[in-house]
Amino acid sequence: MTDTLLVIAQIAGRRCALSALDVKSVIELGAVTPIPRTPGYIAGITALRSQALTVIDCRLALGLTRHDWPTDDRAAVVADGGYAYALLVDGIEDITTAVGEPGQVPGGFGPEWSRVATGMIETMIGPALLIDLPALLAGPDTVRHETDAAA
Amino acid sequence: MDDLLAEFIAETREMLEASSGEIVAWEADPADRARLDTIFRFVHTVKGNCGFFDFPRLAELSHAAEDALADCRAGRRDPDPQLVSAVLAIIDRIAQMIDAIEAGEDISRAGPQLGDRALIDAVNDTRETSSEDGASAGKQGSNPPLHASAAEQFRNDEPSEDRRADRPADRALAGRRADPPAAQRTIRLPVDLLDRVMSGVSDMVLARNDLAHRLRQAGNQPTIDGPFERLTTILSDVRDAITRMRMQRIETLLGALPRLVRDLSAELGKQVMVDLDGGDVELDREMIETIRDPLTHIIRNAIDHGIETPAVRRANGKREIGLLTLAARQSGNTIAIVISDDGRGLEEERIAAKAIATGLISAAERSAMSRDKILNLIFEPGFSTAEVVSNVSGRGVGLDVVRQNLEKVGGSIKVASAPGHGTLFTLQIPLTLSIIAGLTVEVSGQRFAIPQSYVEEIVQASAKTLDLTQLGETALITFRGHRAVCLMLAEVLGLDTSAAATCDPTLVMLRLASGDLFALAVDRIHNHGDLVVKPLAPAVMKCGLYAGSTLLDDGQPVLLLDVANIAAAHDLVSETRAHVRAPNAEPAAQAQHDVVRAMLFTDFAGRRSAVRLELVQRIETAPVSAIDRSAARPRAVIDGTILPLIGLPDAPLANARVRLLRLSDGTCELLYAVREVADAIALTAALHPVAEDPLAEAVTLVDGQPVTLIDAHELFARFGEPRAATCRPRCCLPADNWSRTILAPLVTAAGYEVVPPEAADPATITVLFDAEFEAAEALGHAFTGPVIRLRDHPEAPAASATIYRYDRDALLAALAGAARFNHRVGGRA
Repeated sequence: MTDTLLVIAQIAGRRCALSALDVKSVIELGAVTPIPRTPGYIAGITALRSQALTVIDCRLALGLTRHDWPTDDRAAVVADGGYAYALLVDGIEDITTAVGEPGQVPGGFGPEWSRVATGMIETMIGPALLIDLPALLAGPDTVRHETDAAA
Repeated sequence: MDDLLAEFIAETREMLEASSGEIVAWEADPADRARLDTIFRFVHTVKGNCGFFDFPRLAELSHAAEDALADCRAGRRDPDPQLVSAVLAIIDRIAQMIDAIEAGEDISRAGPQLGDRALIDAVNDTRETSSEDGASAGKQGSNPPLHASAAEQFRNDEPSEDRRADRPADRALAGRRADPPAAQRTIRLPVDLLDRVMSGVSDMVLARNDLAHRLRQAGNQPTIDGPFERLTTILSDVRDAITRMRMQRIETLLGALPRLVRDLSAELGKQVMVDLDGGDVELDREMIETIRDPLTHIIRNAIDHGIETPAVRRANGKREIGLLTLAARQSGNTIAIVISDDGRGLEEERIAAKAIATGLISAAERSAMSRDKILNLIFEPGFSTAEVVSNVSGRGVGLDVVRQNLEKVGGSIKVASAPGHGTLFTLQIPLTLSIIAGLTVEVSGQRFAIPQSYVEEIVQASAKTLDLTQLGETALITFRGHRAVCLMLAEVLGLDTSAAATCDPTLVMLRLASGDLFALAVDRIHNHGDLVVKPLAPAVMKCGLYAGSTLLDDGQPVLLLDVANIAAAHDLVSETRAHVRAPNAEPAAQAQHDVVRAMLFTDFAGRRSAVRLELVQRIETAPVSAIDRSAARPRAVIDGTILPLIGLPDAPLANARVRLLRLSDGTCELLYAVREVADAIALTAALHPVAEDPLAEAVTLVDGQPVTLIDAHELFARFGEPRAATCRPRCCLPADNWSRTILAPLVTAAGYEVVPPEAADPATITVLFDAEFEAAEALGHAFTGPVIRLRDHPEAPAASATIYRYDRDALLAALAGAARFNHRVGGRA
């Protein structure tokens, strides 16, 4: 995995890495049309040229319950299973290369993070959590979601 | 190598598909040289390719067929029915093997190798029998060797030579024979490349819209506007072309049907001819795949249950050969496919009995149902009339599945049938999955789209007139005498409901494909137009409310509501109970047929009145500013025309908008201002003439209250104004400034139509200055119509037939005289 390009983003105050191959572009998020009756982590849809993107709030997709994360209104555009998503994050930091293979940390990263993280990866600017995209897009699991809704 | 193999499979498939129609045509007329050549080319190509890929079994099969066909081509053999069947069997086997190759099976071992031998022998066998004369070949067909051939049976029963002329299907074949489908030059493209091009074009359209917006802001710029217009035109052309790239002629689907029909009818011992029409109608590729199964199912049903055996047909005085016709037609954004057979038709009694037996309806309901309603029960889940489940139809897949599949893509199906004469299925399907006509609505500040095909009507009325009542958690409205469930879109979506929406809602009446009607209350209707639908992410689809998303002209994304799913989630979709209500209403509607229908309203004097419904063209809502009360009679401007207006109160209007009934007697139109429009009603009570009020035709009772019926004759006699005569006398004026600004308005006001000289005909009055007239006369120019000459000076020179240009009376008299002259000439001619 050496020399793999990574997009480094802040999600819920943590440094995370997305494979640059997955990220199509980084956009300024314009108006987001909310979608009623969908899980909270789906922030809505937005238009990128003629494409409609589903906006995923990564902080809520993790299953974190705090709702007041700051954001710089930039989003990473990713594609999964033929659908395009815009990932709403705290901020996009940098693009850098990985140093070494993703590895695990004794004790894990905590339940929310472990679900979406492939592992820790060393990069040129320090260690980051490598995000497993499909796991992130799947949203918090049902049980957690229901407790969210109840809260 | 894998690429080559995939190419080989695809190519062989394509040829198989293309030639399956040819094969049946050839079977019907083995002497047809063109068909023979096509099939020969097919087996020849397969043989060549097989050698390349080392498929010995395929090579052997195609080689045997090729040999036999080559003999036919060279005239060494007659293509008798047995040979045809043998060749067809080989082609079938080739198709099977191609499937096996694609699935990655090793065909040198897989499948019945022994079978190959028999097939090859069959082709070779006939070589000996072919020495017998052609007439006996038909007899051999009576114990079908490998492939029972429908054509053989035709031959047995109807040996006359010129039978072709009187069978429509054969005529269709004959037509095709004369004009073999010209092979279009094609290339194969990956679908995602097409999609990329399509989305690129969509981006261009959005960019164009953005640019158009900015150009409008910047004001008129002739140097930019011209090229921009050109860009717009080109872009819309390109967009059309790209859309067509996803289209495929429905022929690709129909091409396989003759073969299907032939095999089925042979299997069932029936004789069926197919007549296909409309193969050039184009359809989205994916849509073709979606309707393939439903279509096949209906055709199977028609042959299995619809068309009788030859003996039965003969006994009923029909021709022994059943006719199955299939026609595709495009109308706007939908395609109608009509499949009809001339079989025994649907038996109302049996369907009803079955429906009662399976508990779909009760005996009481049955007696109230029309024939049409009963016939359409065959699409209900859990219904299948076949008493014996044959292996052709009735494989656990019923017509309910057919309907479901069609509804999934926004289509519908219905059936009509005449007992003993046949059955007719009509399928309606949208042209593409991706472009639909939609209505944009707003609720709680957010916009949503609704597919137009569901929208029956849009109703804008107060809660009172709609009789909006809350029963438990459900809201009901009364719409044209029916009670319908009313869903609040805001509630469905869990949005905040605004107060305005509940007391004065805009209702979109939605008709589901099953025929159920319900209302969806929204805050506002925006507009409608073609929407390009994009799929939504699975997580969003999971909530079951949306069918896709679309972008409006301004690039704002909007969600498309999944009407069928929303209705299903609220238990509004047809179940047995729905049948109870609908049929009961029907006889009532018929009884009302010869009753006076009228529009009930309250006028500004507070009087409940009614006007015959036939007179009401439309209900207009106009702003008060559109009403002009300066003249003796008030008038209002509607759609750019000025119409007389009656019914206004003397006092100024309190509301900003006023409701107007637009009445017409066919030639005159007038507007009737009303306080409130109630409903369209049937006047069932007796009409009592009113002598004292000339404007009232009669007084009658509606719901126990008196209602004045307006006397239309008196109304139009007093207030009606004919619209400007459609054929006004035409008049051609000089081209100078004075004529345009001073003369033309006068002439127009006098009731003449001013036309340019090019549009002049013999009846056109020509007005021109004397100097021009003399010049024209000197040049030998003859005027065909009457001519009026003008002069600049008040004093006329002696013996001059001219008019001073400011002599209004003389001018009008001259015009009138010229028009009268024309009239007389016209009358004599």
